[in-house]
Amino acid sequence: MEIRMAGVTKTFGEDITALEDVFLNVPKGDFVYLVGPTGSGKTTLLRILNRELLPTRGQVFVGEYNLRKLRRTRVCQYRRAVGMVFQDYRLLEDRTALENVAFVLEAVGASRKEAIDRAGEVLDCVGMWRRRFLYPRELSGGEQQRVSIARSIANDPLLLLCDEPTGNLDPQTAGEIMQLLLSINASGTTLIMATHNRYLVDAYRQRVVELKMGRIVRDQERGRYEVDEEL
Amino acid sequence: MRSFSFAVRDTVRLIRRSPGISGLTFLTVLVVFFFVGCSFLLALNTRHVISVVEGELVVQAYLQPKADLGGLAKKVEKMPHVTGVRPISPEQALELLKARLGNQSAAVTLLGENPLPASLEVRVDKASSVSGIARELVAMPEVEDVVYAGKVAEKLARLSRFAEVFSLFLLVFAGLAGALVLYNTIRVAIYSRKQEIEVMLLVGAMPGFVALPFVLLGLFWGLTGTIAASAVLGVLYKSFVASVQNTLPFIQLVDSPQLYLKLALVLIGGGISLSWLCSWVAVEKHIAEAMKPS
Repeated sequence: MEIRMAGVTKTFGEDITALEDVFLNVPKGDFVYLVGPTGSGKTTLLRILNRELLPTRGQVFVGEYNLRKLRRTRVCQYRRAVGMVFQDYRLLEDRTALENVAFVLEAVGASRKEAIDRAGEVLDCVGMWRRRFLYPRELSGGEQQRVSIARSIANDPLLLLCDEPTGNLDPQTAGEIMQLLLSINASGTTLIMATHNRYLVDAYRQRVVELKMGRIVRDQERGRYEVDEEL
Repeated sequence: MRSFSFAVRDTVRLIRRSPGISGLTFLTVLVVFFFVGCSFLLALNTRHVISVVEGELVVQAYLQPKADLGGLAKKVEKMPHVTGVRPISPEQALELLKARLGNQSAAVTLLGENPLPASLEVRVDKASSVSGIARELVAMPEVEDVVYAGKVAEKLARLSRFAEVFSLFLLVFAGLAGALVLYNTIRVAIYSRKQEIEVMLLVGAMPGFVALPFVLLGLFWGLTGTIAASAVLGVLYKSFVASVQNTLPFIQLVDSPQLYLKLALVLIGGGISLSWLCSWVAVEKHIAEAMKPS
């Protein structure tokens, strides 16, 4: 899914500007890191793309969808094409890993059997098949994040939004998650990942968009976490 | 169909997951609809007592000496609001007078020829109709005079109107109170699954799909609570009627199989409708808020 943001500004209340005059184009199938200090607007940008927030000014197009003018039923259609990985996983505590993934599939119209089969497949993809009957409280942070990723890719989304998916993980697990996201991106899914993980950004070089005080201050192909001195 | 089976499973899961809340909700619905039923019975009995008293009200129409008693009785019977007409011939009137005088009935013989006129005893459906019927009767050429308890009829008509308004108010009030309790109980259930609803909406579930388990949950509570309320109320009312008949036999309470059927239908029908409405409004409100981008 292609993303086009033009002059996007988002303010909260009268004096908090989370994003200011953001212009961003992301071609279909691209992988983009969103970097920047806390409060720079990364999560706001992702939430706008997930249509949880509306921009105060500016236009946002994702594929065929104009996010400013979506009706309720179109929002549902849009969200079926978008996966979101949350920093805090947002898994349902009273459901097993398998049920956490299957329930979103049932929620979008799959039969019970189809949902269970597909959930098993994606859990296998993220290396969680053997732990599919465990509840979130019985899983480590990395495992919960894997289940969260499995849930977000179960619908075969065209756009995957990841908000600090490795935020609570050790370097090795973070690396594994990163490999997983790259393989999802390789299958054609556009991927936007907000991160503070300097090591990952530098190790797996992709396009880097840096935000500061709500503005894009750098947009660099195959960039590093910080400004690449070599360029 | 898939959505419905998911919703049914989800509803069962919700009931099982929090048996405490489910039990409390069931009790709440039971108690609320028990009081709705009490209001219904109170209203029904108030109207019954008043209609019994109203049924006792009669308009006595005295006829001209040569009037056709039978013909006029048939004519009056066809008038609107008239529920019964009893023609009384002069001979019957004399017999009635003798009976009323008892052991002094011999005094009647002093009258010589029977001076009493033929009359009609007209019963009406409600007190407010009495004055109108009396006016129509007095306007008839065959009628010489009309006697009726005008003041009593007026007071009774006022009481009847008040009872109607009061019973309507009571039912509406009880219904609203029930709706409010159900609405808030379902909101608590929704709140306890706030995260789940948010996640469902975030992954693209249709609002109707998200709402269905809560609507089914509301219907389940409404149905089971009102069935239990009908049963408890039926049993208690039957024993109450029996004890009133023993201690205060002059008070006639409504008591028939049709009443119990009506009571159950009103409570269960009202419970299902109210719970459907309340759960739908509560969950739709929550979904609208959750889906509204800030």
